[in-house]
Amino acid sequence: MVELFHVHKQYAGEAPALLDVTLGVEKGEFVFLTGPSGAGKSTLMRLVFCAEVATSGQLLVFGRNVAKLTPSQIPYLRRSIGVVFQDFKLLPDRTVAENVAFPLEVRGLPAREVRRKVEAILRSVGLELKAAKFPLSLSGGEQQRVAVARALVGDPALLLADEPTGNLDPERTLEVMDLLQAANARGTTVLVATHDRSLLERYKKRVVALERGRVVADGAEIRRAGRA
Amino acid sequence: MIALLRRPAYFVSRALEAMARRPRVALVATLTLAVALFVTGLFAAALRGAERLLGAWAGEVSISVYLDPGADLERAREAVAAAAAGRRGEAVSAPEALRRFREALGPQGGLLDGVKPDLLPPSIEVSAPGIRLAQVPGAREVDYGNAWLEKLERLLGRLRWAGAALFAALAAGAAVLVANTLRLGVFARREEIEIMRLVGATDLFVEAPFLIEGLLQGALGGSLAAVALLAVAAAAAPALAGATGLALARADLVPGSLVGALVGGGAALGLFSSALAVGRELRRR
Repeated sequence: MVELFHVHKQYAGEAPALLDVTLGVEKGEFVFLTGPSGAGKSTLMRLVFCAEVATSGQLLVFGRNVAKLTPSQIPYLRRSIGVVFQDFKLLPDRTVAENVAFPLEVRGLPAREVRRKVEAILRSVGLELKAAKFPLSLSGGEQQRVAVARALVGDPALLLADEPTGNLDPERTLEVMDLLQAANARGTTVLVATHDRSLLERYKKRVVALERGRVVADGAEIRRAGRA
Repeated sequence: MIALLRRPAYFVSRALEAMARRPRVALVATLTLAVALFVTGLFAAALRGAERLLGAWAGEVSISVYLDPGADLERAREAVAAAAAGRRGEAVSAPEALRRFREALGPQGGLLDGVKPDLLPPSIEVSAPGIRLAQVPGAREVDYGNAWLEKLERLLGRLRWAGAALFAALAAGAAVLVANTLRLGVFARREEIEIMRLVGATDLFVEAPFLIEGLLQGALGGSLAAVALLAVAAAAAPALAGATGLALARADLVPGSLVGALVGGGAALGLFSSALAVGRELRRR
């Protein structure tokens, strides 16, 4: 699903963000990407959804070398990837339903189909009664559920979540994580960047630890070693 | 482009929705376009008025082709008519020229008593500015009327070039001003653009509503400029007519073609400026 071979990412005038990272994520896996701030978690995520380009090395997403994609091909790759951010990235002047409908409108789906899919996904995240509300009138947990709904409404093969619970209290954190786990159970590959050790303990999934841009550990044993 | 052609109603509704969401930004962009186009249109109207005035003055100038005493008056008149695009020249024989001179002298006309009737040369007179009549058979000399008018015409010719350059500079200035104003609108929606791209929007999908917005704002700005210009022309035409003695109407200063150019040019300017502004934002990412 996602394969990195000796990937290196360097920003001008800064220390390397990623150093010789080799990593594979299989179809249907749920992987935690962990490490302290500045370890390179977000950079790795951004490389996968083509917001950045690797300085060297090879990155394959769905078996395609992203370095060889033309700019006009990138949007079509992104339609197979759902992305959730710590700061939600919702449009404050659009309703919950309009925010969630966005990825479907981009694909040119008919309005009736968009409405049907939006209603279904909002029901699945428990926000069907908030469809007409604006994001700023919702709690942080609800806003993140809207963001998850937007990421999942297009049935992506891969879901990337960059610190999705960073702004949430423990109870709302579990709500959002349960949604990601449910998506994984339905077959979506999930990659979650987090530095919250309690999540690694609670959800017994594969964990990849990064430090200063390098993969320092990969596997379930990281939880026991307490690297996160 | 195919997406835009397939779903024009969707993109138009998104453009209208965006303008309704940020009416102030849309208003500022439309007014900027209107002011820029009004200034440009005013200049065009002033140049047109000056040309009209000169044309009227030039029309009053009579050209005289003086002929040799034995020249064939009728043949010369036909040659003048051919050169002056069908305008009928008036043949003035030598005795007729003397009679007119005598009439012009009024009470002193008696001074010409005893003068031979062929003292003055026969001539052809025609009212047609800007033609050359040296090839008229039997022509001895051609008097092209008022020399100052020729100088003025030359000056106006230069002014036309300067006007075209100034017009281009004004239009370019307006385009930059409008592009910067529209950039504010794009900047205000950078988050929306970022999210659109995140969920897989193509560049055209992102650009299309902005281009339609630019087109609509440009057409609206051009219409406002045209209305303002027509109002100014309606108010100024009587005063100008009084001052110059010309029958100047509003349409003489602001013809339909100028109104069309303002609306069409506004739409094109809005579209072009929008494309610049949103293209820049997309390239930045």
